[in-house]
Amino acid sequence: MFLEKILSQGKKEQSVIESINRHIRLLCTACETFSTALKNRDANLMRNIIELEREGDFVRRNIISDIYQGAFLPYLRPELCRFVEIVDRVFDLLEDTALQYLDTEIPEQVKDECARVSFLNVRICEMLLITFDAMVKGDDLREKTLAIRIYEKKIDDIKFDLIRDIRKLPITNFWEGKILADFVSGLTTISDIIEDASDHLQIINVSMRA
Amino acid sequence: MKLEEFMTTKIKFVDADQSLYDAIEKMVDRRIRSLIVKFPGDTANYGVITARDIVFGVLAKGINPKDIKVSEIASKPIMCIDRNTKIYDASKLMEQSDIARVFVCEGDNIIGVVSLIDIMDASLIMRARGKHVS
Repeated sequence: MFLEKILSQGKKEQSVIESINRHIRLLCTACETFSTALKNRDANLMRNIIELEREGDFVRRNIISDIYQGAFLPYLRPELCRFVEIVDRVFDLLEDTALQYLDTEIPEQVKDECARVSFLNVRICEMLLITFDAMVKGDDLREKTLAIRIYEKKIDDIKFDLIRDIRKLPITNFWEGKILADFVSGLTTISDIIEDASDHLQIINVSMRA
Repeated sequence: MKLEEFMTTKIKFVDADQSLYDAIEKMVDRRIRSLIVKFPGDTANYGVITARDIVFGVLAKGINPKDIKVSEIASKPIMCIDRNTKIYDASKLMEQSDIARVFVCEGDNIIGVVSLIDIMDASLIMRARGKHVS
């Protein structure tokens, strides 16, 4: 395939592709860790997110450095870097949300819905990885990006209910309320950024075909 | 892929003796297309009303929804399935029974609802995931 040829024409390119794949896999692991920790109320496991975010930073720096050391045609470099930066934003947000979790007690009334969102975050992340692999192979991304939009819409639907539900909860002080609101906001925004990442893959895909 | 992953857990209830207008208000406020109707008696005595029932059975006929009770247009019993049912099995059941939604039940409790649009979403995701379906 044409795209496969562009993306795997040299060792540097191959190395970048493998690293981006690893970066997204790492994000999937982080989302899964978050989901399991939330479900099992495991604060120690939740702390692992901080380590995973650091590892993600390390992989991101290597990818960007490899790209600007000459991998890929110049017009593709900023687009690939932009994609990697978007994935990195998800890592950052996931870490912030994990820290908020450690700083607050999630009320029983919203626990199940939060767990459901975190599970869907794992699924949407897996879908991003599938979409990236499909792009490398030169496959059509239309069905993959639609699946991501479906997941995002599902999370959005839950988000409105969660916001409605947390408004009803008694809050004893400002910080308790703020941290809980930030936690819900972070948890439900992860899918928005993953959707941005998938849209960007579509842009890269189209620009390589042009 | 199992139903659990795609079901909507936003289940709202209305008492059978409330007015249909109360039910409509709830559906509008919550942006939902159906409500579970609780009939008096044992806990598992449920029915369902849908936007379709309300529009075709009441509003389109010029009937005032404040004048009738939910119980008058509710369908009973509801169709319940297990959370581990596969998507295509649920879809087959809906086709055979000519219904647009099935309820996911655990004992006497309703824990979710799966509508045709959920089945469509699930099918599209399965296509996109290809061999990665779990």
